[in-house]
Amino acid sequence: MKVLVIIPAYNEEATIHHVIDELRNYMPEVDVVVINDGSTDRTAEIAERAGAKVFTVPYNVGIGGGMQIGYMYAHRMNYDYAVQMDADGQHCASDLPKLIEHAKHHDLVIGSRYVEETSYQSSKMRRIGMIFFSNIITWITKQRITDTTSGYRVANRRVIALYSSYYPTDYPEVESIVYLKRKGCRISEVSTEMRARLGGNSSITPLRSVYYMTKVTLAVLMTALRYER
Amino acid sequence: MSIYVLSIVVSVLFLIGILELVRRQKLKEQYSLLWIGFSVFLIIVSIDVRLIENISLWLDVKYAPALLFLFGLLFCFALIIHLTVVITKMSKQLLRLTQEITILRERGVTERDHD
Repeated sequence: MKVLVIIPAYNEEATIHHVIDELRNYMPEVDVVVINDGSTDRTAEIAERAGAKVFTVPYNVGIGGGMQIGYMYAHRMNYDYAVQMDADGQHCASDLPKLIEHAKHHDLVIGSRYVEETSYQSSKMRRIGMIFFSNIITWITKQRITDTTSGYRVANRRVIALYSSYYPTDYPEVESIVYLKRKGCRISEVSTEMRARLGGNSSITPLRSVYYMTKVTLAVLMTALRYER
Repeated sequence: MSIYVLSIVVSVLFLIGILELVRRQKLKEQYSLLWIGFSVFLIIVSIDVRLIENISLWLDVKYAPALLFLFGLLFCFALIIHLTVVITKMSKQLLRLTQEITILRERGVTERDHD
């Protein structure tokens, strides 16, 4: 079983080493690629020293464009599973074996903060946004998905192929779920523990969150309306 | 020289200018079609002034030249939408290229290390 862990990173020198180390601890047999998306700090150097393969993008292509590089690579190198994980240490590698186990019966498995009560705390605004997207997705896909913005996911071969042909560019998390449902994929959520970020800052500001909500809602509706051949 | 003759001359020069750009490969054929269509329209309108007057009568527009402004504006909108469609296509292609180069470059580095 070949597993590739994809970690997109933009200036994450503070945490990247720890994330890779923890992965090696729990799952020594997986391959790790770090998509160094135009970082200006020592992210690439540190990740390489920690034993990851590093793809350095010539300029910043954003989270979606970077993530897709990982899926394209996984597709070409014939990996069975691709795992996406954040570089800031929010996701616990100890949950990974459980997620991969579930991926044997589903096309995409999402590590969720909300399926069961976990210790994760989030701001009020964030919660409102999450509930909003969760409802839209439930309405469109007829499947209850609680943590639509989780960046902790395991994809099987089918999803790897789909994502390497299309992956949304900015704020891709929500849209990428609807896209898979339109393609008839089976998606499941598994409860995972999420830590507060170890370092770095969230990229969401008030103005951006307005853009975020509008863009993502439009993208989701359009994806649902798109004719599938 | 009357304004009628002048506008015909200008429209014809405009069309020649567009065709010249295509001939010199400064403008791609597919992007020139909209402009060629526009200049043909200009020529027709300049040759037969009554055309605009008849259309405005038919559409119940009191001031015929207003119709020209409307056409001009609509043309600009169509052109801008066309351009944003082209930009979207190009940014998709650029992203693909960047992704491919990123993967190729990493392979190049690894192979050099193994030599």
